[in-house]
Amino acid sequence: MKVVGARLPRYDGVGHVTGRTTYVDDVRVPGMLHAAALRSVHHNARITRLDTGAAAAMAGVHAVVTHADVPLLVYGHLSGAGIPGDEPLLAKDHVRYRGQPIALVAADTVDIARAACAAIEVDYEELPALFDVRLGFDGDAPVINDTFGNWYDQYEGNLDVRQIRKGDIDAAMDAADLIVSGVYRTQSVEQVPLETQVCVAIPEPDGRLTIHTCTQAMYFSLGVVCSHLQLPMSEVKMVGGTVGGGFGGKVDTASDTLTALAAQKSGQPVKWRWTREEEMLASGNRGPWHMEIIDAVTSDGWILGRKMLTIHDAGAYGRFSVYGLTKHSFHHTGAYSIPNLHFDGYVVFTNKIPTTAMRGYGVTGLSTAIEVHAERVAKELGMDPYEFRLKNANRVNDTSPNRIAYEDPSTVEVLQSLAAATGVELGDGLRAMTREQRSGDMLPDHLVAQIGSGGGH
Amino acid sequence: MAVHRGKGLATVEYPTGMNQNGDPSQAWIKVKPDGRVDVFSGTADIGNGSKTVQSQIVAETIGVPYDWVTYDNSNTDSSPMCTGTFASRATFVAGNAVLKAARQVRERILAVASRELEIDPADLEVADGAVSVKGTPAKSMGVDEVAGAATFVHGELLTGDGAHLNPGAAIIDPTTGEVDKPPHAAISYAACTAEVEVDDETGDVRVLSLTQAYDIGRAMNPTLVEGQIDGGAVMGLGFGLLEDCYPYYPTAEHRGDGMNTYHVPTMAELPEIKNVLMENPSSGGPYGAKGIGEMSNNAQPAAIANAIHDAVGVWVTEFPITPERVLAALDAKREGRSEPRREGRVVAFDEELSINSFTSAKTWGA
Repeated sequence: MKVVGARLPRYDGVGHVTGRTTYVDDVRVPGMLHAAALRSVHHNARITRLDTGAAAAMAGVHAVVTHADVPLLVYGHLSGAGIPGDEPLLAKDHVRYRGQPIALVAADTVDIARAACAAIEVDYEELPALFDVRLGFDGDAPVINDTFGNWYDQYEGNLDVRQIRKGDIDAAMDAADLIVSGVYRTQSVEQVPLETQVCVAIPEPDGRLTIHTCTQAMYFSLGVVCSHLQLPMSEVKMVGGTVGGGFGGKVDTASDTLTALAAQKSGQPVKWRWTREEEMLASGNRGPWHMEIIDAVTSDGWILGRKMLTIHDAGAYGRFSVYGLTKHSFHHTGAYSIPNLHFDGYVVFTNKIPTTAMRGYGVTGLSTAIEVHAERVAKELGMDPYEFRLKNANRVNDTSPNRIAYEDPSTVEVLQSLAAATGVELGDGLRAMTREQRSGDMLPDHLVAQIGSGGGH
Repeated sequence: MAVHRGKGLATVEYPTGMNQNGDPSQAWIKVKPDGRVDVFSGTADIGNGSKTVQSQIVAETIGVPYDWVTYDNSNTDSSPMCTGTFASRATFVAGNAVLKAARQVRERILAVASRELEIDPADLEVADGAVSVKGTPAKSMGVDEVAGAATFVHGELLTGDGAHLNPGAAIIDPTTGEVDKPPHAAISYAACTAEVEVDDETGDVRVLSLTQAYDIGRAMNPTLVEGQIDGGAVMGLGFGLLEDCYPYYPTAEHRGDGMNTYHVPTMAELPEIKNVLMENPSSGGPYGAKGIGEMSNNAQPAAIANAIHDAVGVWVTEFPITPERVLAALDAKREGRSEPRREGRVVAFDEELSINSFTSAKTWGA
């Protein structure tokens, strides 16, 4: 093998570093209009009046798109996974977060489009907003989400909690020498791609639409656009594949559908490029996670059980949050084997920007919580942090929280390798440890029932 | 008032492919009359290098030079379906699709060459753009000649198509979370040590170094892997210390609206980064690859938090770990408020942050 494993230069590297790569913003089309969005100025408010008459009548304005122009206003991005949609493409009678789009204007210039947005008349009836997920369960909390209430309630049809149960958590707590609890709260983070959300939509002479897209997922976005527009996939051609940074923030299809609607309505090509402020203040970002961990441990450093509560702040609408929480639940033991588990996870809605995917989705905050907690437990036990981690490290045929046997876990090897790279002396026993299936001292009674039959990656 | 040094450790694991799988990718390949290879894939390159890696897989699998491969992911009319570039799936899942398509192309090249050379295809091999007889390398013909013969002598088009789908895993018991099959394509592992300096007067934390060991299955292109790992390390540093969309949470005011008011790491914060790449080939990935893109920002925040504890003896568990939070924690320690509640076997940290301190609507505890 010569090509695989070789340090070959990037296929597209020269274009990227010399500024010659064509990104969506570089697309120029004759007769192209420019779009701007009217966005909610409130965190939570009823829209009591929306009048676009004056804006539509302005010179240079070619289309004003509102909820009334969308063939299918609510389409769930996870509808294929059985999770209902809850987010309107454009707000109709209620805004749930500051920055939520209400209308898109296509005009000869961006300045005209922005002036027209300012000329759209909106009357709001402002309502109390909720930002702290810990208060979402209260009976007197404002109701955030029309479809699900204040937390998602349709896991596998009718559960309002994502659960993991394994072994006997009560027995583990009873048997523990030490019970260590901690609370970990990770924040919302913006993906900060250099290329903001941008789209050029072109109505073609044959009636098709060409959409120059910055999406991370062309076929997924094709499906989203075609669902909202109620078109077969043959009527839309997505052009893209070269993205100026995404980090998860360009899976939402944030600009394609509305730009396409503006192109359809005006009959002209339309470009919509978000400003940096819009990217920072209105695009979907990494969601906050509130995590409480209680570990039952023995004085010689075995983790017997873990009880965990996770509350994921979805923001105002669901988007991919249920997926993120489920993934989170599957990995809540981290790189360790813990035989007795009791996990409850909730997707809670707040009046913040709907959160979405970002690098490490569902797990980045979780890894943070698990590893600070592991360090605390080791310190409480007076145990070396390597020894504590290596002892509990997952091994071949240990089973995951979902009862899938690990096929090739490398926790032991990466720790040994890191120790070597940082000059940490591991004792003989730790240096000799391998990933191989547990036996002898590494197979205490409480882990016997934990061993699976293999074949699970 | 002084600057204190500390070290902290973290270990992480991360799945390749969408959680619960069920995320297909497809690709097809055609060969030009001069043997040059055109790959059509729907995988967006978001800077992760999937154009490069998928082209490498095709060149390796067919047996032609890398620069013979042209890669087109430009539109949905010509490229087949790919679920997308997320979930660390582009190398593993989409890479398997182009691998399968390339294998078909290779078989068709061998079939045409077999007729041209009058030798059984099983006795032929393809490498470096030439088909040769195993054990008799002198007897050979170029892939360009094979493609020319296919086009102008045999009236054939050399193509291949491939699709990869790890079948969807269902939760068969929503009360326990039990699944019916593996919910991931593979799992990658990493460990990280952070070395920090903490100023106990300003609360400022400086990361001096990050040392990281990654098992990524197979490094398809070590330069790109290191790029992912270095970039992820810096992103993890931003998550650990700097970035917050709602800095005054639980209010939603005073949000950073640009690069000057929302601080991502710059060269000024860049620590020394040292990486160890380990190759533990996966059973199902192309050439043993696993995903690396996402997990690379997961270990640093905890390693940094643990290093801060090592340096100044305080735990900060609300992120990012801003100077304000460090100073507040140091104040609490000085005033004797930082110890966990210890009662019998129970050691309870952070009770003031727990949902129990905010509501009685959700009961929670051991």
